[in-house]
Amino acid sequence: MDDRSFVAAQDFVLEAKRYWTTEIYPELKADYEARAAQLDIEPETVEDVDALIGHTTLYRFYSWLERHLQRFKYAGRYGLYPYHDERREELVASLPNVEGGGDQLMLNPDLPLPDYYTAVDIHQHPGGVWSDEIAGFVYERGARSTTPLMGKAHSDLHQRFTGFVAGQGNTPSQILDMGCGFGKSTRPFFETFKDARVEAIDLSEPCVRVGALDAASNTNSAVRYRQMDALHTDYDDGEFDLVTSTMLIHELPPPEIDRMFEEAVRVLAPGGHMAHLDFHQVPNAFARFIHYGHARRNNEPYMEPWAEIDPVALLRDKGLTNIKVVPFQEAEGVDPANSSFWRFPWTIVYGEKPST
Amino acid sequence: MTKAPDLVDLDEQVFFEDPALDRAFGVVMALATEVYVLRDRQRALERYLEESGLIDQARLDAEPSDEERFAAAEDRAAFTRGLMVSLLGKQQSKGTA
Repeated sequence: MDDRSFVAAQDFVLEAKRYWTTEIYPELKADYEARAAQLDIEPETVEDVDALIGHTTLYRFYSWLERHLQRFKYAGRYGLYPYHDERREELVASLPNVEGGGDQLMLNPDLPLPDYYTAVDIHQHPGGVWSDEIAGFVYERGARSTTPLMGKAHSDLHQRFTGFVAGQGNTPSQILDMGCGFGKSTRPFFETFKDARVEAIDLSEPCVRVGALDAASNTNSAVRYRQMDALHTDYDDGEFDLVTSTMLIHELPPPEIDRMFEEAVRVLAPGGHMAHLDFHQVPNAFARFIHYGHARRNNEPYMEPWAEIDPVALLRDKGLTNIKVVPFQEAEGVDPANSSFWRFPWTIVYGEKPST
Repeated sequence: MTKAPDLVDLDEQVFFEDPALDRAFGVVMALATEVYVLRDRQRALERYLEESGLIDQARLDAEPSDEERFAAAEDRAAFTRGLMVSLLGKQQSKGTA
């Protein structure tokens, strides 16, 4: 597959996704609202919404496109996976290969990968983000177009999140980024807090290797990528004054979510902050219907149970204070409370560990 | 580290009443992708050819003459018949339905 054909096909799929986002979704929402207006009682449950629009031709195409455009993106003839597979040798040769130590990469070949992680190929990434040595490159390229309306400004999302953290009144010097993937979430932190030591951890060897490759070629920051389970780290109690994650929580089943917060609190120093960016607030039945449908269609089995958890109660139970669960504006011009187009329900979950 | 399998036998997500439509629409989208890939390549080719002075883009974009359209009529008819003939439900070989 030549580069031009790959880019043209990916651009087409992305444009189809943009049409789905800005034209088909609003039609679906309008159809739902018109049908709901005929009822005496407002729909309260996902099942209520399904009874209203689940059978319509528009919703069937909406659903088909959501699932299969993602399939085309990753696994179609011009998909991310076959494109990178054809370039496998060159890509693998470019990766840093440090086992057991190093300045910016530490791998753990003996790390057991949990069943919940390996059982499903999340977001339809063939083989998941962990099983193939090129998976980090595939994921990195795919993440450039996760949200079709953002285009080249997509990284703005991560910078905005870092900006929120910076606005909470502390300047962290020891930062832990849990579930860092290939480092897209990590970069704005070490670029914003230039004097901080940053540890970025993820279960995926292919992803942390791409993160280290990026760090080695672009920065002199004190960042290190480690292959490690965020639920069971080897850091000391209170080692960090900021613990963060981006799009990690919804990849965990509820018991693991609880365990992750337990570990985050353990490694957080008294007075330290934690901030997590994820998908959570779905305030009405239609929003839940859309979000839970997305989870099913995009191979995200833990998205729905996470959305049903009360983060305030969870963080309070872990002893955190000044807890905030707030909608997150992922880009300029987006209204999280009333979006006319499809978007993820971006939400920040934030808390502070008491000083004493 | 292992390479991801190409195709896997797992339950299929079905969105239409007839699963045939799910699969057929997949074929349509695959073809649409191929069409766009070809459009992109043709546009690039035309741009490079014009930059090299080998073609006149304005002449290429101009409305074709009746003579040129007539010359293409036979090819157009064959293309259209090939596309539409399945709609008639006619058979081209003997055998039971």
